[in-house]
Amino acid sequence: MNFARLATDFAGIKMKTPVMGASGTFGFGIEYKDFLALDRVGAIISKGLTPLPRAGNEGVRIAETPGGMLNCIGLENPGIDSFLAEILPRVREQVGDTAFIANFSAGTVEDYGMMAAKLDVDGVDGVEVNISCPNVREGGIVFGTDPKAAAAVTEAVRKNTGKPVIVKLSPNVTDIAVMAKAVEEAGADAIALINTLTGMVIDTKSWRPLLGNVTGGLSGPAVKPIAVRMVWQAANAVRIPVLGLGGIASGEDAVEFLLAGASAVAVGAENFVHPDAVERVAEDIDAYLEARGLTHVSQLVGKVKIG
Amino acid sequence: MLVEVGAIVENDILSDDVRSMVIYVPEIAAQAEPGQFVMVKNENGGTFLRRPFGVADVDRNSGRLLLIYRVAGKGTRELAALEPTMEISVEGPLGGGFRFDAESDGKRTLLIGGGVGVAPMIYAARRLAEENPAAKPVFLLGIRSENELFWQDYLQDFTEEIIVTTNDGTAGIKGFAIDALPAVLDKYDIAHIKICGPTIMMEGLAKLAMARGIECQVSLEKRMACGIGVCLGCTFEGRVSGRRWKICHDGPVFPAEEVFEQ
Repeated sequence: MNFARLATDFAGIKMKTPVMGASGTFGFGIEYKDFLALDRVGAIISKGLTPLPRAGNEGVRIAETPGGMLNCIGLENPGIDSFLAEILPRVREQVGDTAFIANFSAGTVEDYGMMAAKLDVDGVDGVEVNISCPNVREGGIVFGTDPKAAAAVTEAVRKNTGKPVIVKLSPNVTDIAVMAKAVEEAGADAIALINTLTGMVIDTKSWRPLLGNVTGGLSGPAVKPIAVRMVWQAANAVRIPVLGLGGIASGEDAVEFLLAGASAVAVGAENFVHPDAVERVAEDIDAYLEARGLTHVSQLVGKVKIG
Repeated sequence: MLVEVGAIVENDILSDDVRSMVIYVPEIAAQAEPGQFVMVKNENGGTFLRRPFGVADVDRNSGRLLLIYRVAGKGTRELAALEPTMEISVEGPLGGGFRFDAESDGKRTLLIGGGVGVAPMIYAARRLAEENPAAKPVFLLGIRSENELFWQDYLQDFTEEIIVTTNDGTAGIKGFAIDALPAVLDKYDIAHIKICGPTIMMEGLAKLAMARGIECQVSLEKRMACGIGVCLGCTFEGRVSGRRWKICHDGPVFPAEEVFEQ
């Protein structure tokens, strides 16, 4: 892998490749150490953290769907304090100089600010603000579907941290450009999209929803065309960099997001199927660049030819 | 833990809906211990996620891994259609497997398998028989009917006795494994019980074991996407410890008291 071609500065976060492990699908990174070289990962985005530990939702949490999966985990996590005391030191020890981005959500604007302040510590290279979890009431989606509320959350985080602030947007909105502009104006350094799309599966034997939480978030290859379209729309609406994700399983998939306007990408559900996916996608992007005589990945960003 | 792509050596029919698949994956076969599982994916198939299967046995000399699975949905239907020499992707070995440290007391173990949950108990039986040939495990085999008696062929060399129950009474004792358990405990001096099967079956058996003060381990199963403790699809709260366990990473085998009310 030619790191000179791939090295990416994403909103001030220095990465060896433009490929990150997406929140909720990459643990804290160290779970994957048997399957890939953690120092060849662009950035690790943590499982979503909340002010207090959360046990998550009851019942069935995972369902396979055509070309993807639904989940309704419900933000199960050990809570911010346990993360800072026990997990972050272990992560820092094992991932070398790979960038680590902490994803978090909260139930109030004030708690978003509090979380940002607590995460403004050494070892955290940036924060990803989740205003788009479809599976819990306090998981942010109430903030992620209203531009004013999204701006208020972004401002509260901005005021409380010196780290780069990425706001992760929900696709469950009518106009993604409105949401993207709202958080840009409120001080976000970057936006990430898409989070999962709300979906539902019904068991035809029992006539009951398959998932314990009735609905869940759809991810995997099935959502990729929607994600590419939304990245393209959002990238055209803002000047801040865009992190593109949603169904990426290969280097070609990633290149689509880059052409649509993403400056970096994240691999999500594919990590569950191929635990070396983050490293492999970066290698594939590198091979794509080499085959076309391109000297840096940034030469692809936003270069989709329309008209 | 690793991902290894290997050739299918056999994919045979054991009953109307149960199949045995032997895969040449020498690195995983060399590492896998009883009670561990693998996540399997047919890269040319139409499903997205891998599917978890308990390791039924390994042959480290020939590098082979044995899986025994029930054809239950789209993923397993596709697996059943694969033929020898075709390749399949195997991730594993995953989880921690059975613990055998309590067996250092030299006392006899009762293994109980229900339905396709018998599969991981084959490897457990072999391990116990090899470690203590003087007191090979006793096996309580809970199956639907006589057409699932094929399990005995895998188990007989490693067991002192196989007690069969069938739901329909076509072989052995008519009823469920729990119906046969008291008599087995009367006949043998059992100090350890290991169970893999449907949750409702394991609950009854484990409660009786715990009531008699017998060390008991149960192997759990729940829908999971990753198998390595990341997706959090398979977590539960331990009854004694209060900890949030991941079935895939911290299990799939747990002490019975951590799972079921005593």
